[in-house]
Amino acid sequence: MRIIVHKHKCQGHARCSAQAPDIFKLDDEGYILPGDIEVAEGKHLLASRGTRSCPERALELDATPAARAESDVIQPRGRRV
Amino acid sequence: MAINWVPDHIPPEMVRDFSLFKSPGMLPAPNGDPHAAVACVHAGPPIFYSPYNTRDGRGTWVITRASDQRRVLQDAETFSSHRSIFASALGENWPMIPLELDPPAHGVFRSLLNPLLSPKRAMVLEPAIRERAVTLIDRIAAAGTSCDVMKEFAFPFTVNIFLRFLGLPDHRLDTFVGWAKDLIHGDHLKRPAAAQTIVAFIDELATKRRKDPVDDFMTFILQAQVEGRQLSDVEVRGIGVLVFVAGLDTVAAAIGFDLAYLARNLKDQELLRSEPDRIALAVEELLRAYPTVQMIRVATKDIDFEGVPIRKGDYVSCATMIANRDPAEFECPNTIDLARENNRHAAFGYGPHRCLGSHLARREIVIGLEEWLARIPAFRIKKGTAPITSGGHVFGIKNLILHWS
Repeated sequence: MRIIVHKHKCQGHARCSAQAPDIFKLDDEGYILPGDIEVAEGKHLLASRGTRSCPERALELDATPAARAESDVIQPRGRRV
Repeated sequence: MAINWVPDHIPPEMVRDFSLFKSPGMLPAPNGDPHAAVACVHAGPPIFYSPYNTRDGRGTWVITRASDQRRVLQDAETFSSHRSIFASALGENWPMIPLELDPPAHGVFRSLLNPLLSPKRAMVLEPAIRERAVTLIDRIAAAGTSCDVMKEFAFPFTVNIFLRFLGLPDHRLDTFVGWAKDLIHGDHLKRPAAAQTIVAFIDELATKRRKDPVDDFMTFILQAQVEGRQLSDVEVRGIGVLVFVAGLDTVAAAIGFDLAYLARNLKDQELLRSEPDRIALAVEELLRAYPTVQMIRVATKDIDFEGVPIRKGDYVSCATMIANRDPAEFECPNTIDLARENNRHAAFGYGPHRCLGSHLARREIVIGLEEWLARIPAFRIKKGTAPITSGGHVFGIKNLILHWS
């Protein structure tokens, strides 16, 4: 499962990170780090809760079969540094 | 109610007899519930024009749907927040910063201030916040079985945290609260007087800190650089005034509304007392149910928005208390469900101006309720008393007398 991060829409509410700080990492100003997020097996529930907590709709679940199939072999886009 | 002058471009059928100041339930009233009262707008059209929806009687478009408010507040290019709302009380024109700056200037100042009020910073401040709450509540518990929550807890708690953050002396707490009350809830004489006092105070503080820097907020602002230069005097004032005004009233009001709700809903009160882990989620629901702020934007150009002709210069109101009761966004919006999930409420606004202090505010409310419920047994509104609530630009509650045994 992958979470698409619309970085330009993030306004630093930090609700995602309140739900799952290990999945949704913030910068020093409190905004989400750029780059889509690949979610490990077993963390899907937390990840989708975090995604659904964003007041700005800056996060989007990408649960298409293609994305799921690729997720095993392909690195997340826009890697976080 | 007399209808004010309505601009020509507004179709008469889009005008509604509504005002956050004067509609039923908005004027100060004992045992009022102004949040429930505004929810009635959802029975009408999603956007309408109110001819008298500001303090000085100006008309605004009223955006009722959360999704439309999100669009307005996210689009700072079309809907500007530069209104000089504070300075205009003095007959002047300068922005409170960053609130009344539009992008891209806004982002520069926002980036300067964000780290000071980030979720990480709020966590660092947590022990001091908790200590302050415990001290106040222990004093209240030791003194008897009743108290005036606003006077003895909500204001001394939140304003103390805030003054410490700013590096201002605690012994002037009552004075500062008085200024803020006059400014936010005062009449046409008290408001400009309070505004003048606050500006003079901020200017004087800047002068002092410039001469003798210390480790506090004002010194930080004076020494800061934006775009490779120091801040101008008007910018320092704009930031100082905003931070001063924004922190003095709203968090205390939130705690007041929350404790009033719990005093009237003993089952919810007992649930949170016996399972304090639920408090953080419950606070989100209480923020949804009892937000305090109405945002107003000014259209920078003509735009047809959801079938409504908004013209350059029109005021557009995005009231958090209205968005938060939108049935299209929240299932059973008028039911307060302390276990509500996926609660994407608008209490702190949407878009680039999202409340800068939101993370600190949240921690204060959660900690305030945690310590209150841990130390005060089952409490109710004291018999023979009635908290007075009010609508307006900033919703408020005063005179909340609680009793327990």
